[in-house]
Amino acid sequence: MAQARLSRRKVAAYLADELIAGRDVTQQLAALLVETKRTREVTLFVRDIEAALAARGVLLANVASSRELTSDVEGTIGSFLKKATGATDVQLRQHVEPSLLGGVRIETPDQRLDTTLRHRLNQLTASKL
Amino acid sequence: MTHPLQQFAADSSGDIFTSLGINGQMLLFQMVAFLILVFVLGKWVFPILMKAVDDRQDAINAGAKAAEEAEKKAAEAQEEVAKLLKEARTEAKDIVATAKDEATAMIADSESKAKTRADKIVKDAHEQLEKDVIAARKALHNDTIEMVALATEKVVGKTVNDSVDKKIIADAVKEQA
Repeated sequence: MAQARLSRRKVAAYLADELIAGRDVTQQLAALLVETKRTREVTLFVRDIEAALAARGVLLANVASSRELTSDVEGTIGSFLKKATGATDVQLRQHVEPSLLGGVRIETPDQRLDTTLRHRLNQLTASKL
Repeated sequence: MTHPLQQFAADSSGDIFTSLGINGQMLLFQMVAFLILVFVLGKWVFPILMKAVDDRQDAINAGAKAAEEAEKKAAEAQEEVAKLLKEARTEAKDIVATAKDEATAMIADSESKAKTRADKIVKDAHEQLEKDVIAARKALHNDTIEMVALATEKVVGKTVNDSVDKKIIADAVKEQA
C-alpha cells in the first residue's frame, strides 16, 4: 500500500528537532530517501534541515578561506554570526580554497557573505565597460 | 572809195524790199511753206513727240514714285529691323539676365548643398571620432582593470600571510557587524 508523500519541510523540521535532541538522524534520512525514491532530493533535504535548525537557534555555516582559520578567528566569526542571526549555537564547516587569496566567505542557509579578495577582484573585473 | 552807207543810200532810191534784196514772192512762198510745216508738225509730229515725252515723264514719275516708295519701304524695313533688333537685344538681355539669375541660383544651391554635405561629413567625422575615443577609453579602462586585477592577484598571492589574512577577516566582520 502506497504511503502518503511526506512534505520535505515537515521531515526537515522533525529531523532538526531530533538533531537538537542529540540523536543521529543520518540513517533515518537515508532510509526515508531510499524508501520514497527521493534520493535526488538529498541536497534539498539537507538545506531544509539546516534552515529548520537555524530557525531553532542552531546555525550551520560554511566558511571558506584561503588558509586554515585560527581558533580566535573562528571565534570572531561565530560571535559575528550569533549577533547577526540571533542564533544561540553556531557551528562552522570550514574548508580551504587557496584561490580565494584572502578574506572569508560565509554561507548560511539563507544568507551569503563574501569578503574574499577573489570576490573583490571579480567585482573589479566585472566593472569593465 | 565809196562808203557802204553811201552805197546803201544810193540804192534806196527804189523799192525797200528790193533794196533789202527780199523777193516778195519768195517770201510769201516761204511763209506758206512755214505754215504748212507748222501745221504738219503740230498735227502729226508734235503729238507723237509730246506723247513720247509725256510717257517718258510718266515713266520717270513712276520710277521716282517707285523709288520713293522703295525708299520709304526701305526706311520702314530699316525701322522694322531696328525695332526687331531692339526687341532681340531686349530679349537677349532678358535671356542673359535670366540665365545669370538661374546660374546664380544654381551656384548658390550647389554651394548650399555642398556646405550641407560638408557639414554632415564633418559632423559624422566628429561623431565617429567621439565614438572611437569612447571605445578607446573603454578599451583602456578594461585593459587597465584587467591588468590591475592580474597584478593585484599576483601581489596579493605573495604578500598575504596568516596575520594579514586574519586582519582582513577581522576587518570584514567588523564592517558587517
